[in-house]
Parts: sequence; C-alpha cells; structure tokens
Amino acid sequence: MSIAFLCPGQGSQQPGMFEQLPDHPYVQKTLQEAEDILQTDISLFDTKAQLQSTTTVQLALFIWSMAVYRAFKSEGYTPDMAAGHSVGAFGAAVITGALAFRDALPLVQKRGEWMEKQHPSGYGMGVVTGLSYRQMTTLLEEYERDETMYLANVNADDQFTISGEVSTLESFLTAAAAEGARKAERLNVAVPSHCVLMKEVSEKMESALQTVSFSSPTIPYAGNTKPRALLNTEKMKDDLAESISHTVRWNEVMHLYYERGARLFIELSPQAVLSDLINKQSSEIRGISVSHGYEDCCLLMERYSLK
Amino acid sequence: MNPTQVQKNTKRSWTTRRDAKRARKEELSRMTTGKVIPAEHMVEALETLIKPGDRVVLEGDNQKQASFLSEALSKVNPEKVKRLHMIMSSISRPEHLDVFERNIAERIDFAFSGPQSLRVAQMIEDENITVGGIHTYIELYGRLFIDLIPNVALVAADQADSRGNLYTGANTEETPTLVEAAGFRDGIVIAQVNEITEELPRVDIPGSWVDYIVEVDKPYQLEPLFTRDPRHISEIQILMAMMAIRGVYEKHHVQSLNHGVGFNTAAIELLLPTFGEELGLKGKICKHWALNPHPTLIPAIESGWIESIHCFGGEVGMEKYIEARPDAFFTGPDGTLRSNRTLSQLAGQYAVDMFVGSTLQMDRDGNSSTVTSGRLAGFGGAPNMGHDPGGRRHATPAWSNMITSDDPLARGRKLVVQMVETFQSGNEPVFVESLNAVQVGKDAKLDTAPVMIYGSDVTHLVTEEGVAYLYKTDSLEERRAAIASIAGVTPIGLERSAKQAEQLRRDGIIAYPEDINIKRTDAKRSLLAAKNVEELVQWSDGLYEPPAKFRSW
Repeated sequence: MSIAFLCPGQGSQQPGMFEQLPDHPYVQKTLQEAEDILQTDISLFDTKAQLQSTTTVQLALFIWSMAVYRAFKSEGYTPDMAAGHSVGAFGAAVITGALAFRDALPLVQKRGEWMEKQHPSGYGMGVVTGLSYRQMTTLLEEYERDETMYLANVNADDQFTISGEVSTLESFLTAAAAEGARKAERLNVAVPSHCVLMKEVSEKMESALQTVSFSSPTIPYAGNTKPRALLNTEKMKDDLAESISHTVRWNEVMHLYYERGARLFIELSPQAVLSDLINKQSSEIRGISVSHGYEDCCLLMERYSLK
Repeated sequence: MNPTQVQKNTKRSWTTRRDAKRARKEELSRMTTGKVIPAEHMVEALETLIKPGDRVVLEGDNQKQASFLSEALSKVNPEKVKRLHMIMSSISRPEHLDVFERNIAERIDFAFSGPQSLRVAQMIEDENITVGGIHTYIELYGRLFIDLIPNVALVAADQADSRGNLYTGANTEETPTLVEAAGFRDGIVIAQVNEITEELPRVDIPGSWVDYIVEVDKPYQLEPLFTRDPRHISEIQILMAMMAIRGVYEKHHVQSLNHGVGFNTAAIELLLPTFGEELGLKGKICKHWALNPHPTLIPAIESGWIESIHCFGGEVGMEKYIEARPDAFFTGPDGTLRSNRTLSQLAGQYAVDMFVGSTLQMDRDGNSSTVTSGRLAGFGGAPNMGHDPGGRRHATPAWSNMITSDDPLARGRKLVVQMVETFQSGNEPVFVESLNAVQVGKDAKLDTAPVMIYGSDVTHLVTEEGVAYLYKTDSLEERRAAIASIAGVTPIGLERSAKQAEQLRRDGIIAYPEDINIKRTDAKRSLLAAKNVEELVQWSDGLYEPPAKFRSW
C-alpha cells in the first residue's frame, strides 16, 4: 500500500492558517528559513488582507506544505510519490528530492508576481461541478474559439475550473447552469491561471528554472499538464513552467497514482480540497488532510506502511 | 535427391528446446539442488532462468495474482533480463507495468487491464509498451498453444510439496492452462506457494509439470471481485430483474446461464427464491450455471433452485460454504472447490443458454462497450460468453426458441442479454451516438475499436422502460427502432416515434412491464431474498465469511 503526499494550490488558503500548523520544531525551522530566504516577515502572510495577493497566497501555501512535510520527514514519514496542484507542484518537486526548498521559494515568489502582473484586472476564474467532461468541452468550444476563456483544471470527472475574462466567465457560468451544472460560480481568484493567457509567465518560468540545479528525484512527481508520473528532471522543469499556461489534468494524475498503488493520500494543506476529491474517487482510497490532525495522519501512515 | 539423402545431409538436432532448458537449469544448480528456490534468491534466480527476448507468461487474472513473482521480476537487472514479451490475462498490479518502464519487457499480449486502464492507455500513447493483441481470455489461452508459447511460466498456488506437486484449490483458475503451455514445450515453470507441506489436500497440478517452487511469506494477492452487497440494489434494478425473469428467463425456458457481476444480475439472483418462486419457476429455469461463486446466489442455492455451478475462480469468504454444499459445486475429494477459468469460459461460450451482462455505453445499433475515455481496459471474458458461437450444434429449449424462420436449415441462438439503466450514475446517458471505444481505439492505434459485445450478437435488451426482443427484428432499421423505444430520454431514445413503438409492441418486439404482467409499483426491496450481506450470512447458516470490507455489523 503506497502513500502519496499532496500539496494544494490556490484556493486552499485561509486566514490564520499558520496557526493551524502543528507545534513541531521542524515547522518553526522551516518558517524561520523562509523568512531568511525571502528577507521579510512572513508572520502576517496569513491575514485576510495579505491573502488578497496572489503572490502571498502562493507563498503561504507553499511554505505551509513544506513546514509540515519537513516535520513528517524528521519523524520518518516519507511518501512513495508526490503530487502538487498548480503552485503545489513546486512543493511536490521538493518532496521528490529534485528541487531544494531554498531554490523553490524564490521561484514560487516570482511565479506569483509574474502572474499578478500579467493581467492586473478584468480576469478571473470560475468553477463548474455536475457536468461531464464531454458536456464541458462541448460548451467550451465556442468560447475557446473566441480566445477569451479556457478550461483551467479538470479536478474530477465532474468538477472543472475555467479561466478568462470576467464578462465571458459570467456568460459561460450562466450557460453551464442552464446545461444542468450543480454549481457554476466565480472563484475568489484574480488571475486567469492555467491557460494560454499566462503564456509569457510560462516562458519566464522556463528561463528561471534553467538557472536552478535539480537532482534526480527519488520518487515520482505528478505532471500537471501531461498527467504522468515523472522521474526525469527535464520533464519536471517543463511541467513546472508549462502548467502555468496549460490545463491541469488533476483527476487523471490522481487516478494514475491510484493505479500505481497509492492508497493513502496525505494532503499537506490547511484545508481538505484535494483529499475530499480523492475520497469521492473510490472507496478503496483514503484521503486525509493535515488540517484534520497531524497526529491522525501519522497514525494512518504507520498503518498503511504495515499493510 | 531422395528423402534419405536429405536426412543424411542435414544433421539437425531435434532437442534444441530441451537442451536449452537443461542448460538454464544447470546454471541455477548453484542456487538449488532440488525444486525449492529460497525466496531471498528469487530475483537472482529469475536473472538466471529468463533470457533476453523470452516469452514470459505471468499469472494474474482479475482475482488471483502471482504477486511475489511479479514483484521479483520487476526487480531484475534490465542489463541481464530484457526485451521480454509478457503474456498476461490481466494487467492488474503496478509492477506489471513497471517491468516495461524499467525496460525489462517491451511487448505484451493480454486480455484485461481494468485496474491499470489509464496507465496502459498512457504507455501506449507514449510508446513505452508494444501491444501485440488485446484478447478475450480463451483467445489468449488458445494462443499459448499456438503462436504465443511461453518460455517461462510464473504462477501461484496455495501449497506445494517438495516434489513440486501443487494444490491450487478454490483458486485453480488459469494455473493449469499456463503450466501446461510451458511445461510440455520445454518451458520453465516456477510457482510461488503460500506454504510448502508434505500433506497436500489434493494435487491439482502434478509435480512433474513444475520445475521450481518458492515459498513466500505473504500469500498471493486475491481479490473478492464478485461480491455485491445487496444493500446497494435499487428498486429500478429490481424492476428490471422482474422484467428479465418474466420476459426472458421464463419466456424462453432458460436453464443454463452465466451472469455478469453487476447489481442488475445480483438482483435477479436474489429474486429467484421470492418472485421466481411465486411464479412457480423453480426447477424450470436457472438450473445450471457457469459462474463464480457469487454470494448473492446463496439464497437460490439454499432454496433448491440450483443443480450445478461450475466456477471460473473462487470467491474470498465462500470457501466453507462451498465445502458444505458439494452437490451444488465442483469439489475435490478433499472437499474444497476446484475452479478452472479456461474450462468455465469454454462452458460459458458453448454450453449455456444465455449470457446476461451490463455495459456503460450502447450505440443505436446495440454495440456496447465499457470503455471510458482515455482508458483501455481490455475485454476479459464477457465477449466469450456474450456472443453466439457459430460452432454450436446441440439444441436446448431456449436455444431453439430463438429460431424465427421456418427455413429447414434454421438453427437456434445463444441468448445474449444486455441489462442497462438508460442513464449511468452522474447523469451520463448509456445510449449514445458513438461509443467512446471508437476514439480510444483510434488513440491507441488499435486495429479495431474495442467493442465488448457486438449489436448483432445481442438478442435481448432490458432497460427500466421495457424489454426489446432484438432477435425478432428483421432489419437494422427495426433493430434501431426497438432499441430507441426503450432508451428513455437519452439522445438515442429521443429519436423514437410513439407510433412506431406501438407497432413494435403489437408485434411483440418490445414489451413494457404491463405487457408481461409486471406492476412497476411491485418492484420493492422487500422482494430481495437478502437485503444485505448479513442476511446472506444467515442464509448460509453462518458458513459464508464475508471479507472485512463487506461487514457492516
């Protein structure tokens, strides 16, 4: 029975999230190290006001996941594979052993800043649930032709996010509701992630990644754009850059990890977005978030590694 | 040149295969003098016994897996063992594909890949695996004796003695077939066993067919794949089961059959002792089965419906129950079940009146597929049973009942019944314009689209709307109209015309529940002979021991 670690992307932040971190020396160490690298006080990153910034959100989530990961690691809890959603992919890259935390943190910061600057206003994201992939892509055909709105994430067989220009989003969400969607609403995200509108950011990230040295990963990394279990550093770099401007195929990569033997998914997150998705996928899978209790996660990992 | 001269001039050896086998075994003599290979030396032993380019048949069907041997194979040095051609009835475990990622193997012939269907599709797309063919079980077993003869067979058994005699018991499944193909063609047969003991309950495979055994700590993987919890049977499924029993089983006097694993057929099994009994059908239908030991069949067995069941494999938890009911099952002198996948598949192909299955998608012509976009699951055994075997010559009442003409050469047909609700869970229509299988077939560059059951083989369709007697239709147009008439509000169903449906109904080509004396409001869960797993245990006098995941009490 294999174990996978999952790192969340934007949307999993919440005010006061640093308070939720387990009381653990490695958590403190990680926060301190982040401050040293960023040369800034991060203690206010998780206030409601600061979380309005995409950059802060991405940094806060990344630091949060890494703090918990290092706590687990210090006690011998290590996964057999790692996956991160969107900015979480940087966390996954660190967990695989390919990317150093100190190299990843500035990249995450730049990622947020570049994304924010690319489209300062007038763009955003929406979520649709309860339609099939076929229904979604049929609906989207027209909009994608107009090049104002795109499929951003396929999170589950019936859960999608879209990115684009605000008025187009609104019109699409109305159409999705009419098609029978359970939910079709705007997300509190101010940037159009994971679509071609972010092409320049991908290119900048691609160059930035060339300056960073990667080691061979010891466990698989989950490709966001091409949903494969990657063990090749060049392919990992490509994915970290490309996924900023391409659809994230999360549901496929989660199913792939299931087929590769993962049965316990530990979400290193202040919320439980990814573990909720995985729990809906199959009754044979157990997903749990650290937000449900650090100790519970440890206990389950012991049980699953014995199985 | 006369024949004797030819013989003289060519001094060829006729024992090359035997000599090669002897050489490999001699190489291994440093590790073992007898048949027993210590578990810790298995990787090294495989590196010695398997040569580059070998055809390796690895046991793994949808239930039983030679899991120790597959793990060992995935750990061999790809410098020593490479370019293998794997033959597997089911690609089930992660390491089955790891051997391709690690460049140990490069080609595969298989039948089923449900548990690895996404990864198989991806690996084909990425050209990390070469697929020879996707088969049904019997096809693949057949080829083991023709053009896919294995050099090495890696199989699993419950017990062995030191001479290599194997006890495979309830889960005999495909083991004898794989061993025979390798063992009698100078291949090397290696069996992992849960235990070595000198007191075998019985011998399922003689030791002289087996070269090596390895005793492992962890028993081979075994999945309870045919257990359906009656708790999840819906009243729509009960309605469909009632229609099937009246409109198909009773109408055509079906005495021998195979059921798929869905909840639809589980509902039928659980209605026999209640609804079927009331109709006075006991002893008239459903007497002989080619079927895994479905726990949902227990009430029908207990109430005297069933004369015989031959099994493809075992089912976890059913062992003691079967031992106590040898009149119903095939058992050895030791009392335990003997299954045989090859023979049961053959029986299901040629010797039963009817196959009842379900599907995820059906097109307007009645072709069906369980393929999901982007996944390649293969076929398994359903197409063996879900078609009319042209070579059948014996008649039974149901088979003869399918004759629709007075042609002096007319012959009967196997009943191939598809039971589907018009929509899947998640609001996906079952009846569709085009099967996902078509696109998946293209993406994976298959020679043919992976259709599970062809429309031309389907004799009956049962949905929550009614029954379509497709065998009675005499044109493709009429077949389409019959399917559309009971396809609900799916895209295909919306194409029907009310007038034409009425005509089909008058002609007896479709029937609504009221036409076969079924009141929709009678379809209640209270009709189920057992409403949950606990009641199945009660029916079995406590002999059925469900696996933990099915225990809710």
